[in-house]
Amino acid sequence: MNASHLRTRREFLVSLVFLAAVAAVPLFVTSGYLLGIVIVAMYYALLAIAWNLLAGYTGQFSLAPTAFAMIGAYGTGMASYHFGLPPAVGVPIAILVSAVIGMGLGRIVVPLRGPYLALTTIAFAEIVRHVARNAHEYTRGDFGMSVPLISSDRVMAFYLMLALLVAVQVGLYFLLRSHAGLYLQAIRDDETAAAGRGINVIFWKTVAFTVSGAICGFAGAMYVHFSGLASPDIGHIFETGLVLASVVIGGIGTMIGPLVGGFIVQFAAEGFREFGLRHMLVFAAMVILFVRFFRQGLWGLVKNAWDRLFGQGAARPARQVKEAGE
Amino acid sequence: MMTLELILQGLVMGVFYAMMGIGLTLIFGILKVVYFAHGESFMVGAYTYALIAALLGLPLPIALASAVVVGALLAVIVERLLIRPLYEKFGDWQQMRDEYAIIVTFGLSLFLINAANQFLGPYPYHGPALTDIARFQFGDIIIGGHRLVAGLLGLLILGGALWFIQRSFWGKQIRAVAQNRFGASIAGIDTRRVSALVFMLSGGLAALSGALLVPLFHAQPDVGMVPALKSFVIVVLGGMGSPIGAIIGGLILGVLESFGAFYVSYAYRDTFAFVILIAVLLLRPQGLFGERAREV
Amino acid sequence: MKRVSPVAGALMPTTSKRIAGIAAAALLTAGLASPVAAEDGPIPIGLSLTQSPPGAVIQGEEVLRGHLIARDIINEEGVLDREIELHVQDSQGIPERGRSAVERLIERVGVVALSGQHQSSVCLAEIDVANRHNIPYMNTNCWSDDVRAAGYPQVFNPNIYNSRVAEAMGEAIAQLEGIESIHALAENTDWGIGQAEELGKYLAEHAPDIAYRHDLLDREAEDFTPVVQRIRSDQPDMVVAIMLPPAAYILMNQLAEQGVVPSDDTWLFEGGGLFSYPDFWDNVRDSAVNTIFFDLYHPEMPLSAFGERVRDEYVERYDGTPSRLVFQAADSLLLIAEAIRIAGSTDGDAMIEALQGIELEGSRGVITFSDEPGVLYQQWVDTPYVTFQVTELDQALEDTVFVSAPGVEVNIEALAR
Repeated sequence: MNASHLRTRREFLVSLVFLAAVAAVPLFVTSGYLLGIVIVAMYYALLAIAWNLLAGYTGQFSLAPTAFAMIGAYGTGMASYHFGLPPAVGVPIAILVSAVIGMGLGRIVVPLRGPYLALTTIAFAEIVRHVARNAHEYTRGDFGMSVPLISSDRVMAFYLMLALLVAVQVGLYFLLRSHAGLYLQAIRDDETAAAGRGINVIFWKTVAFTVSGAICGFAGAMYVHFSGLASPDIGHIFETGLVLASVVIGGIGTMIGPLVGGFIVQFAAEGFREFGLRHMLVFAAMVILFVRFFRQGLWGLVKNAWDRLFGQGAARPARQVKEAGE
Repeated sequence: MMTLELILQGLVMGVFYAMMGIGLTLIFGILKVVYFAHGESFMVGAYTYALIAALLGLPLPIALASAVVVGALLAVIVERLLIRPLYEKFGDWQQMRDEYAIIVTFGLSLFLINAANQFLGPYPYHGPALTDIARFQFGDIIIGGHRLVAGLLGLLILGGALWFIQRSFWGKQIRAVAQNRFGASIAGIDTRRVSALVFMLSGGLAALSGALLVPLFHAQPDVGMVPALKSFVIVVLGGMGSPIGAIIGGLILGVLESFGAFYVSYAYRDTFAFVILIAVLLLRPQGLFGERAREV
Repeated sequence: MKRVSPVAGALMPTTSKRIAGIAAAALLTAGLASPVAAEDGPIPIGLSLTQSPPGAVIQGEEVLRGHLIARDIINEEGVLDREIELHVQDSQGIPERGRSAVERLIERVGVVALSGQHQSSVCLAEIDVANRHNIPYMNTNCWSDDVRAAGYPQVFNPNIYNSRVAEAMGEAIAQLEGIESIHALAENTDWGIGQAEELGKYLAEHAPDIAYRHDLLDREAEDFTPVVQRIRSDQPDMVVAIMLPPAAYILMNQLAEQGVVPSDDTWLFEGGGLFSYPDFWDNVRDSAVNTIFFDLYHPEMPLSAFGERVRDEYVERYDGTPSRLVFQAADSLLLIAEAIRIAGSTDGDAMIEALQGIELEGSRGVITFSDEPGVLYQQWVDTPYVTFQVTELDQALEDTVFVSAPGVEVNIEALAR
């Protein structure tokens, strides 16, 4: 447990440094285009962190993170479109709605594991998307619904999104350090054993789903107030793929991996525009290669490189622990 | 009369669903993971048929056969390059294998869709129908000529595939690996070859399904996405790993959709399947014909 | 099974610095490379259009072709002794990608005007950016009335719009004889539904005896048999399809599969301008025969000298008949070039002012922009349109039967059934 705490703490501190670097970006970059890219990167990072809480720390491989982002997006979008409510009211509504739906879905899928869980959540995500596309009276259909901007000042939008990202990262750190965090990881490592030790598996799995759903909903709501449009594309299955890719490229089950992964995926998607028409092609190939050959993610690579260069003495016990675990 | 017609139309659509589902269920049977690029076998089959029949003008049986070959070949290559580590490399690879399978096949799906868009262009291709008869009429029931012929052909192929899996020497090996890969390899079964065979079979069937549907659906880069998602539903409905279940699940889904669209909502036609999937997983997770418990 | 493997060593400071360093370096190099628009070099103009899925790639290609042709024609003489240079970005039909594409065009390339978008949802995201940067935005083909309702002075609309299409269809339908019931099928977008509802309103007012209903179809769907069965059993006198490819092709084929069209009992009226897509006849067969099409271009429509040039160039380069999108795209670029010429510079305000007062002979008529607020704001109100009927398989556009145009009575005699 101590090792786990230590590890979490180290990753958390690294992530704070990373976030501090991000916070300094507007000091050097004034281009709205580039700030926009970083804002979207923060959105993906938030979804990746929320999904990592479920998949990486609790072992629940959900395929619905972007569905919750879409619920948040339409929550505040519809509040604004139909009732003229400002973001200050719409965003909390969006969080509440996505948390409640997250709780419901989480409670329902408690007994499901592996592929069954993946398929149930993807079915849920598709249902949400189909409703958003076809309930035209409420959602304006497949083209989506205009949403007022939270701030026409891009630097302002940037710091609002960053504040959310920092808050989520700090909150997650304290969650993981608390008993709750230990329970979640115990459930991931061995559900039966965890139940045997008196951990309320149903309760904590549902909590993970609720928190993850709320974060995604919050992120989705903030995102549409930045982009100005709530559309069903937010929940497209490809978007889910980008979130998974972020976590896997960064390093699953770590505090820093999803954060950095979200940035990498968004920057790569933008950067590959340079390849002209082929940017999606290049990006897909990169996802395959990464997952095939660098499965521990970038964080794992960095860690291994470090161990090899400086930490031989310390690296050995690590390997032993792993083997013992299997 | 309308009821009978809805059933008939649903059953025909169900045959194509079943051809997709049977391959997916076999893959699930031997690997216990979700394979996301199944729709792209369908897409590849659709393009192959349309290009060979419409552009090159070759006879339709040749076009159909080429679609099967190309689909099977693609699936085997994918198996060799991306799927094999799942069962060859133990240890580290046992962790996160669900995640690996989903992400890598998802990336593959994205790659193939964009490759098709890049190299074949965005324009949909239309393939020639298998028959010149525009439609068959039985009393008040009308069904498109190609739809009926392709459906019957599909039914034949499904029967053949079922026989192959249940009765043939290779089929028995597939089932042995599905039950216990380790045990099967001890008993002298070449599990690599069986895996390759399963991918070949499933890729070929999905491609054939795509080829048969080209005159109705048109070949375009993302044509396989809806059928792929449907085939997940079928696999769960029929019970993961059960070929008979996949066939019956496909037929049931086809008929349910037909009625749902007609009596409930046209726009939500493709949504019913997902509601059915969630209902089945919650009420009867082993599906109609599955024997396995829900924990894998 | 245990996933956790404890980290060894105090690696924190170096690693974090490295990551932060890489991130900062990447951002800085990107940020410092700002565009410098040369005063005497080519004039950069940005195109944001769909070149890859999930968007409408076919439309994107036609729009691009139109711009390329117009660019070459304009550059023969040049604008203010400079050439026009096109910079293309792929918006994939996703609003978010469109937004970042135009931001990139404005900030990285330094384009002086934007053009080319053809998907309403993307337009709606992009016009905010154009508005913020005060850059003229030529809406090549977004029909949604919301684009104009936003009221941005930077946005100009040299194309048709939803309410007008519905009116044009309604006019033609109201004049046809013996129509008692209509069943419209609309795709689940603002465009499809908006048009179906507008058509209903028009008919309720001008032809109240016609029973009209519309249904929503999912444009991602691939099988429409159930709704076709419903239509077959109801036997309406006319089916109106307001959908885009590929769903529209599939729907039309499935209507023919069930024998609903072509038939003596039921007309098909197509409201999406499908006929001019280059792949139309490759994808649609029998159902197109006797179908009445709404479109914005027909060879019987008078073309200006510029329009004829565009048409001839298209035929020569791409070996096919140009669609309305080609002319809309060519007009878009011509308008921008003319605005620069009048303004005498590439200044945003000056170009916008020039466009507001413009009177330019485009490919299909003299283009002016209305200043009425609302759905007509900065709209070319009198965009010419046409309805025509296809009477044979594989018919070329020039052989189709001209039915009506603004101010022209429906030529009922000409209609085949």
